[in-house]
Amino acid sequence: MSNQPITSRVQLPSLILSAVFLVILMPLLNSFGLISDFTLGNWGKYLCYGILAISIDLLWGYTGLLCLGQALFFTLGGYMMGMHLMRVIGGAGVPTFLSMVGRTEWPSFFGPFSSFPFAIAMVILVPGLIAAIFGYLAFRSRIKGVYFSILTQALTYGAALLFFRNELLMGGNNGFTDFRTLLGFSLREMSTKRGLYIATAVLLVAVVAACKWLTNSRFGLIQRAIRDSENRVLFSGYATANFKLFIFVISAIIASLAGALFVPQVGIINPSEMETGKSLEAVVWVALGGRGTIVGPIAGAISVNVLKSWASSGATADFWPLMLGGAFVLVVLFMPKGIMGIPEQLQGLLKGIGRKKENTKDLSPSPILSDESDLLSSGSTPTGES
Amino acid sequence: MATSMHKLSARNSKNRLWLVLLIGCMLASLDTVKAQERTVRETVAAAAAASTPGEQREIILTLKAKPSPEAVKWLEKWKEGGIFLQKGEGDLVTPVLLTGDADRDGGYATLRVSDNSPLLGSDGKAIRINPKEVEFADTDSGLRRAMKEVSDLAALANPDTVKRIRAIQDSAIGQKQEKLPSLLLLKSIEKDPGALHALDEAIAIIQLRSPVVAERIGACTKLGEMSSIPASDTIKTILTEAVAAKDTATIIAAKKALIAIDAHISRINAVGTAFRGLSLGSVLLVVAIGLAITFGLMGIINMAHGELIAVGAYTTYVIQNIFATGLKLSPLGFSISIPGMGLSGSGLAMYFAVAIPASFIIAALVGVLLERSVIQFLYKRPLESLLATWGISLVLQQILKFIFGSNNVQVTSPAWLSGNWTVNDIVFGWNRVFVISFAVLIIVITWLVLNKTSLGLLIRAVMQNRNMAACMGIRTERVNTMTFAFGCGLAGLAGAFLSQIGNVGPQMGQLYIVDSFMTVVVGGVGNIMGTVISALGIGVADQTLQQYLGNPVIGKILVLGAIILFLQWRPAGLFVTRSRSLD
Repeated sequence: MSNQPITSRVQLPSLILSAVFLVILMPLLNSFGLISDFTLGNWGKYLCYGILAISIDLLWGYTGLLCLGQALFFTLGGYMMGMHLMRVIGGAGVPTFLSMVGRTEWPSFFGPFSSFPFAIAMVILVPGLIAAIFGYLAFRSRIKGVYFSILTQALTYGAALLFFRNELLMGGNNGFTDFRTLLGFSLREMSTKRGLYIATAVLLVAVVAACKWLTNSRFGLIQRAIRDSENRVLFSGYATANFKLFIFVISAIIASLAGALFVPQVGIINPSEMETGKSLEAVVWVALGGRGTIVGPIAGAISVNVLKSWASSGATADFWPLMLGGAFVLVVLFMPKGIMGIPEQLQGLLKGIGRKKENTKDLSPSPILSDESDLLSSGSTPTGES
Repeated sequence: MATSMHKLSARNSKNRLWLVLLIGCMLASLDTVKAQERTVRETVAAAAAASTPGEQREIILTLKAKPSPEAVKWLEKWKEGGIFLQKGEGDLVTPVLLTGDADRDGGYATLRVSDNSPLLGSDGKAIRINPKEVEFADTDSGLRRAMKEVSDLAALANPDTVKRIRAIQDSAIGQKQEKLPSLLLLKSIEKDPGALHALDEAIAIIQLRSPVVAERIGACTKLGEMSSIPASDTIKTILTEAVAAKDTATIIAAKKALIAIDAHISRINAVGTAFRGLSLGSVLLVVAIGLAITFGLMGIINMAHGELIAVGAYTTYVIQNIFATGLKLSPLGFSISIPGMGLSGSGLAMYFAVAIPASFIIAALVGVLLERSVIQFLYKRPLESLLATWGISLVLQQILKFIFGSNNVQVTSPAWLSGNWTVNDIVFGWNRVFVISFAVLIIVITWLVLNKTSLGLLIRAVMQNRNMAACMGIRTERVNTMTFAFGCGLAGLAGAFLSQIGNVGPQMGQLYIVDSFMTVVVGGVGNIMGTVISALGIGVADQTLQQYLGNPVIGKILVLGAIILFLQWRPAGLFVTRSRSLD
């Protein structure tokens, strides 16, 4: 099922090479002026998106749970970090988002956020807890497949509605912005930005390594078994709900960490980041890159966003949704394994041409799809029976 | 005492005269009255020309004998300073109107107030007047009070029942005892039950301030029986006064009345909430019913459902413009001009009758296109259908933006939709009535198609077991296309419907997509009846929470939370389609 054994011989060295490039070489090149500050900043964002994409892939590609609420966890992490950054701005009085709603003092829940370790703990705990509660409820009553997607989407939608309210004291639809310092370093300094970039790249590498280890362990095996046929795993005596809950919480925390690194780099966080479209967009990266692989989602996230920052400004801006939507339809129809699946598809295609002379009565729309139909129908019930 | 009695009887006799004339007025025999009397114009002219304010008032008050809208119009003109006084020889004053455009000297053509003829000078030529050089007819407070009396009476005698009732209700404001006789008189001739009810209420409210204690208590009791909401405040003041004066009888009566009124108010609120909930539920239902077909029956997670709604709404917009003056579009720089039929009034109002089938057909055609090009490959991959249709929704949104621009477009809804219908103080807005009846219509159509046509039989067979249906010789591919097109057509209908009650823009579908999915999931996938019940349930729950919390967003969030908890209890929704299969 998985293609790791085939490619791992090539993958490990190239992975290490890319890690070295991202973590060490890029910042070095930047400090010598060979990569512009702007580009490095953009790449910091892309890498955050890459981490978000991995968190989706852990759920969708490896466990068969399409979660449309990852943007919520990403944004929550961002908000926790944003609260810390707002708190350390200092100065007299309270920021505009509080004085606007008639507050003259910080609300009590902001208090401990002036401590950085507390903020980081919250980045992990808050989304983790929400994921745990929601996941417990959902998996206990065996909500799966499409229902899980729709429910996570509803959760995100409800949270976005909540965060748009000024009464929540989280800045309403303006969110938090105008951050000054992080751990005493000015966020406007290039050295701080470079530091943030390195932190992001290191986190990405760590997440990739952890996911590699996790998915190759026995746990990963059960995870993939759940994806392919949950009932069989259940009948073999595994409590699938606990496995799913664990992976759901883990991926929520990963997404949240990405969000927490994202906010100081872009300098703003507001509820539009958790609109339903954002989660779906992140799912596009995973689908385009190739789900069920670790590198695919990162490649997808980076390539879509590079394309987006190139296309969504200027004269081509109007065509960007067309390109994104169209690409998505095409990927779903013709590249079910995304970029990472292309070599395999080409191989299959060559084989298919060879076989076609013997076997012309293939009823499925394309030979690629029929070869992989087992994977494709994962995590869902055949429609005729539902 | 004797003089006041005399005055009263004098007023009564005057009123009786007015009563006779009022009946005459209602019988629409105005012309004969006109023949006998000075016309309104002549009266106004005479009043404007009168030398003292006292005289002017006397003449104006004669208009009370025949309170007509025309008189009100003239008095308004007077108050605005639109009547000018042209001084002739001696004391002769001619009230005139100025009309037309100013000439070089700032002069205007004149028309006599009395008979609408131009004012001629001694040389037989029409006189032109510069408004800066002549006086206009002024008013003092006494005169304005007299005018107010006339116009109040005119409103009370208004042949339009709705306006008359409003005038009656207004007359109770301030509880002026001197208004009582005319209301009592009106009551003796009024036939309309609604107006009679309003009269009773107005009389009782005025009597609350009557100097006679027994009358006040009687009024309290009566208003309590009528559950009169406008009287509530006055009764409260009376209650505090009575408590201060230790007037037990009044206290009891006022308290009883207040209890009755409060009970009535909470009843109204409950019915109003249920009604609003029902109409919100109907909106959800109309929006979700197409999805109940494409998602519920077919298993396609159609994220482009919202855009198909937008397609229906834009179709309505185009049809409306074809019925009116035509439409110019410029997608991507190409200029397309659609000629219009130039209709207006009731002809234009007919456009909706055409727009309903048109929006169904256009959306269904888009559905056929989507099914053939993309969705037919995804029947076995529901999660991927979600992704592909989301891509489609992005593309469709952008296409709509290219064609119609990214701003909202204007769809005018018929004027009658903004009216309402009040029963027993409960307001039923016509737009909500329209919403509910449209939902009923769509449900009936869907039910008939699914249960009473051969297409419906095929749809149900294929959706229950695609392979078995194919074995029986049903052309499942074609049925799939038809079913998907039907679901999309219903989404188009929802668009036509939403265009009448909301904004039409390229992103309008996004507003409804989460709600529609929730509705279908709660109802139980594959069951139209479940969708109906869940839509109405969500609608009523939403409105009830809103009523108690006073905050629509928090209410909505709570509803979403409640839905998630509800699915704990019934993971497959309200109505479960049972099957022995296991994946």
